[in-house]
Amino acid sequence: MAAASQAKLRAASCDLVAELTGSVTDGFLEALLRGMAVSFALSDSYRQNIDGFDAVFVFRTRDGRVGATAVFQYGTLSVESQPRSAFDTRISFQDSDGLSKSLLAGDQDILNTMLSSPVDAEGNLSYLYRFGFLAKELTLQLGVG
Amino acid sequence: MSPITLEDLSLRDVELSPPLRLLRDAYFRAAPEICTERARLVTRYSLEAGLFQQDRITSLDKARLYRKVLENRAPVVWHAKAYQRTPQGMREFAFQDTSPFAGSTTSHFKGVPLYPEFLALGLWPELRTISHRASNPNQLSEEDIRVLNSEVFPRWMNHNITELARINGTDEDCRRLQLLQKLLFFLASKPNCISHTVPDFSRALREGLRAVINDALARKESAGDQGRQDFYQALADAMEGVIAYARNLSDAASQGAGGESDPAKKAALEDIARIYRRVPEQPAATFREGLTTVWVCWTAAHLENPNIGLSLGRLDQLLYDLYRQDVQAGRLTVDEAVQLLGHLWLKIGDHVPMVPDAGEQLFGGSGSNQAITIGGVDGNGQDAVNDLTYVMLRATELMKLRDPNLNARYHPEVNEDRYLHRLCQANIATGATPALHNDRAVIRSLLSSGHTLAQARDYAVIGCVEPGSNGRFYGHTGAILLLLPTVLELALFNGRHRNFGEETVYGPETGDPAAFATFTDFQAAFQTQLRSMVDEAVLLNDWLGRIHQRFYPTPILSALFEGPMEKGADLIDGGAAINASGIAIIGLADVADSLAAIEKLVYEDRAVPFADFLNALRANYQGYETLLARLKNPDKTPRFGNDNARADGHAAWLVENLHEAVQGRANYRGGNYRIGYWTMTNHAGFGRFHGATPNGRQAGENFSSGLTPCSGVTPSLVPALLSVAGLSPEYITNGLALNLKFTPDDGDPAAMLENFVAFVKGYFDAGGMEIQFNVTSHADFIAAVQDPSRYSELLVRVSGYTAYFKDLSPMMQQEIIDRTEYRLSTGAAIAYGPFALSKGVSDGCC
Repeated sequence: MAAASQAKLRAASCDLVAELTGSVTDGFLEALLRGMAVSFALSDSYRQNIDGFDAVFVFRTRDGRVGATAVFQYGTLSVESQPRSAFDTRISFQDSDGLSKSLLAGDQDILNTMLSSPVDAEGNLSYLYRFGFLAKELTLQLGVG
Repeated sequence: MSPITLEDLSLRDVELSPPLRLLRDAYFRAAPEICTERARLVTRYSLEAGLFQQDRITSLDKARLYRKVLENRAPVVWHAKAYQRTPQGMREFAFQDTSPFAGSTTSHFKGVPLYPEFLALGLWPELRTISHRASNPNQLSEEDIRVLNSEVFPRWMNHNITELARINGTDEDCRRLQLLQKLLFFLASKPNCISHTVPDFSRALREGLRAVINDALARKESAGDQGRQDFYQALADAMEGVIAYARNLSDAASQGAGGESDPAKKAALEDIARIYRRVPEQPAATFREGLTTVWVCWTAAHLENPNIGLSLGRLDQLLYDLYRQDVQAGRLTVDEAVQLLGHLWLKIGDHVPMVPDAGEQLFGGSGSNQAITIGGVDGNGQDAVNDLTYVMLRATELMKLRDPNLNARYHPEVNEDRYLHRLCQANIATGATPALHNDRAVIRSLLSSGHTLAQARDYAVIGCVEPGSNGRFYGHTGAILLLLPTVLELALFNGRHRNFGEETVYGPETGDPAAFATFTDFQAAFQTQLRSMVDEAVLLNDWLGRIHQRFYPTPILSALFEGPMEKGADLIDGGAAINASGIAIIGLADVADSLAAIEKLVYEDRAVPFADFLNALRANYQGYETLLARLKNPDKTPRFGNDNARADGHAAWLVENLHEAVQGRANYRGGNYRIGYWTMTNHAGFGRFHGATPNGRQAGENFSSGLTPCSGVTPSLVPALLSVAGLSPEYITNGLALNLKFTPDDGDPAAMLENFVAFVKGYFDAGGMEIQFNVTSHADFIAAVQDPSRYSELLVRVSGYTAYFKDLSPMMQQEIIDRTEYRLSTGAAIAYGPFALSKGVSDGCC
């Protein structure tokens, strides 16, 4: 990614960097999805990761406190603030910290996270694996992976 | 019976040749490399053939696919480089490959094959991190990351077995899939593989694959319907692919020889070229050709069947005639045979299964569990131990590898004492292998579960410890891993699981145990939960099996098996001579002890009301220290493994009930369900996430391994052996693992060996089925934790298979250190002070 684009990405993703380097808050999901959307717009190589990938992800906390829909279509990501009822993959989680760990956990934390702070996935699990890769790529671009 | 001609059964004068030793050093140095070759080729040819558009994939579709893959695999004769883990990351190193066996399971010296049809996509989030994760990292190149991310994984998102099961399933099927994904109830392995079986190499060895092809084509001519005609064509196509791969290797070796200036290497390559030109297409005429036939067929079997539990069977029987003829003709020495087997053992271990981070705690350190079986009796009940049995033992002793997993059969009334002595001696020398199986008990078990006498006598060990008739038993012995402590959990908490909260009910609401008037009431609740859980697991297994039938037939394995050719049906459609599915039970001893504790303390002594006991469990015994101390004291609370009739009775009751729970059930292939007791590393992994249990086990602590009594409760060995041996083989038809730890005595080695033999004989005479050992001192285990690099080759028995101690998770290392250790001279348990290795307990559970 060109230096100018990298700088734009970092500027647009400062909330995400803050979430990942400090305490994870309920703003994590929004920051992550916004960071992804910006990176898809700025980076050809990152955008190539979703060539031909059409999918609707719904994220929500069990208590409805946090929720969003991420729509991958035509090589872009659009984010809606409300969870849709129709989805390819729906991720329900207890808290944002659990979601963050399940998507971005390092060595051996994933199982612990799954069982101690359950993250339930409905629908196609492979989509979730792909989403996990995209999230990891973004954090590596931001230097916080 | 074959006469033993070896003068020294231990073959102590035979050592590894310098080239083999160097290759073995490189093997231990090499980190596994993720290989994309299979995934890439399978994806490409599936696309070309339009298989992603089909709503059913036939054996012929698959055979044509595999034929193309085999024809187009890179024919690697010798490897030249590998990667090793360093503090700076993965670094390439070069080495001299001198193996007489060309080809490999993957394109790498030590590879991780990927099966995107199954769970390979689970690696997707970890593509950037797996090369440098802390536990068992796998080398993965940037180019391979690109290939997987852009060319392979996207194609399989909607076409892997899990997703195919989900989109084709009913709501009930999907609910059971969700239960599986909760992990803490049971594991069903069909989303990952079937594999757990032993192919039949006898025909390939005796007649060659060309004869198999000709037989299939002849049967096609007379087959009535199109489906059967296609199936026979599939067998022929699959075997043509295997022959093509061998020919490509022959050509590559020939080409290599042409450019080689070193006369020795040139001759070695020319030998390979000549042999691979002949076999496996033609019958094997020499011992080396026989080994080559097995090896090439084995790589092909792994192309189709994921590398988990696929096992090689009775190689000392299958290859003995070729060995004997060569030795008698002066073409082969015993030393050369050991070297050849050492090379083959390295090849067999040339791959490890893909284990994502999340799986490391449950399966970390596992190899591919490729069992080889030696010894025992033949189909007529005669002594089958031969010279090659001892040659294989020596090769195993010298190589000390995790894979293959050597299993020795011993018939107390037929096999000689000197053979048992040699088996025990090998265990002392290697510290962990071979596992020992009692023919008398195992054959009795197999006879009770659908084998004929001849089939039962010809059993081989599959994966960890599971017995099944060699080359004719499609048993998927690892189909289900069922957590018995979860059944207990649901009975204790009225169908709920503490890890998942009070709201969701996972089992029948059998009532609050505090209201149960008698222990029998609690047993009834337990039985209800048990049958419900078995139902869920079995129905899911059958559903996943039907998905395999629709999308993943197995023509390669079908061609190398007794039954499919005769029946005109793929293995997945019930083509094998014998069909079954296997369930492995985790946590039997913990649950037996828990039942004994509840009966004694709550109902008999009235020492603690059930409601208080439940509160103690919820509190992880914090504030209930007196109760905890009483539970941990075998003098006050009966424990399985002390030859205590009450506790042993509970174990027997559980074993009988589990057996009953699957009686009369036919699986999707028309076979039966079988129950076994072996746990691999899962007793440690799942223990970490399970709350306190009524036997005094606190939250996060390990469950007991296999069918082994809980650690620390059996002060002497003999009662432990008698308790396990007292369980009926008729109820244990999917194998068991009894894990024992002996300390190497400082005293007289001969006396140590005699005691070792005496304990095994006593256990087998009492009816014990299987036993396996770790013979490493406590001090060495502690030292291996503190300085893993000095103990990189320390081999251990986990619960079934062998592993390198350094590769195991901290919980699993802790479990092995904590196992009761017995002194061979007296059979007394040795008391050690606590050694806290892992970071603690209860970090992942309620």
